[in-house]
Amino acid sequence: MAQVPEGGGGEGGGRHSKKRAKKGSTHIDMTPMVDLAFLLLTFFILTTTMYKPSTLQMTYPVPDENNPENKTKLSNAITLLLTKNDQIFYYIGEFHPAGNAEGKPPTTLTQTDFSKVRQVLVDQNKATVAQLNDLVRQFNEKKITEDEYNAKRKEIKGTNDNLKAIIKTDEDAKYRNMIDMVDEMDIAGIGSYGVLDELKPEEKVLLDAEKAKF
Amino acid sequence: MPKLKMPKSSPALDMTPMVDLAFLLVTFFMLTAQFRPEEAVAVDTPSSMSESPIPMTNMMTIVVDSTGRVFWDFTDKGVRIAVLEELGKRVNYTPSQEEKIKFANVGPVGVPIERLQEMLALETGGERKEYMDQFRGIPTDSLNNQLRDWIATTRNIFYNDAQQNPIIALKADGNTNYMKVAEVIRIFQSPGIQISKFKMITDLETSRM
Repeated sequence: MAQVPEGGGGEGGGRHSKKRAKKGSTHIDMTPMVDLAFLLLTFFILTTTMYKPSTLQMTYPVPDENNPENKTKLSNAITLLLTKNDQIFYYIGEFHPAGNAEGKPPTTLTQTDFSKVRQVLVDQNKATVAQLNDLVRQFNEKKITEDEYNAKRKEIKGTNDNLKAIIKTDEDAKYRNMIDMVDEMDIAGIGSYGVLDELKPEEKVLLDAEKAKF
Repeated sequence: MPKLKMPKSSPALDMTPMVDLAFLLVTFFMLTAQFRPEEAVAVDTPSSMSESPIPMTNMMTIVVDSTGRVFWDFTDKGVRIAVLEELGKRVNYTPSQEEKIKFANVGPVGVPIERLQEMLALETGGERKEYMDQFRGIPTDSLNNQLRDWIATTRNIFYNDAQQNPIIALKADGNTNYMKVAEVIRIFQSPGIQISKFKMITDLETSRM
């Protein structure tokens, strides 16, 4: 079908064939068509970007107006303050302002960034991460089904003594920072975390002082 | 030695299978390719590792672009038209059939309600985009909180029709200031709307794990 027409050259009998009725070869030169086909093919392959948006399910609690004092215990929590230039400042436990009534040492902020924060979180949450890794291993060895895996994963992440996290953003933080942080929560096996967009005044003072250093 | 005789014909190949394959692939790509609708807003969503796919129907999307403008979008055309009619009533605007069809296909909308008519009078997507660029998206300030109206109207219309709530999605640009996103989330949570579960649209990330 797609042979290049043999013409007369191969046979060597150019003159004879002229008189005879044309052999009536039904061969069509398909080269242009093939060219076109591949041109289109290339075009479509190159323009098709596998655009795959995904979604991140978030639950923001609706503020309970009857019970605004419904607080979680923060002794086992890490508070991450997101700010400009993708910087993160964090402290662990409750916030103690300088010169507080209980005489606790004042809270200081530690600076980190998105490449190091995972290590910080994993270090704080060693027990859970170890359990989760163990679970992944069991799953990979096919000892448990996917449903069991998901259920157990949820259970481990939800235990009460697991690390909690509070993500706070100041006015310079970007939306991307917050999404990245939520992602890190999942990686570090932190099941309970909250996102707040307001800093306590004392936190703000401290954060501004720290920001000035960098 | 007849066996060693060179074949007479030219060294042409039978291209048929190749052509078949080429056209098969062309057809496949042509049929599966969905041209991304020209978006009125460019939004570069941040990436996350979440793998849950995005629903294609029953979803209201609130888009926030990098400058903090807010847009409204809905997947189903019938709902879009109903929302347009309902919001039009507030400003004594009755959209024509043509305008309804236009509105059903425009994608994200980000103009004050009273400007909808002017926007839908424009013919091409480019003109509409230019027109929308004059405004700061859907007003969200507390005195004229039209985003609330958009969300509440959409939810009511959808609920009356389907007896369930639409899926709410927030699609924000990664470089948007978080304060603006937080403002939209506060509107989600405000009394009368009270959306606490919603989806954040992100790009699938594979590299960071």
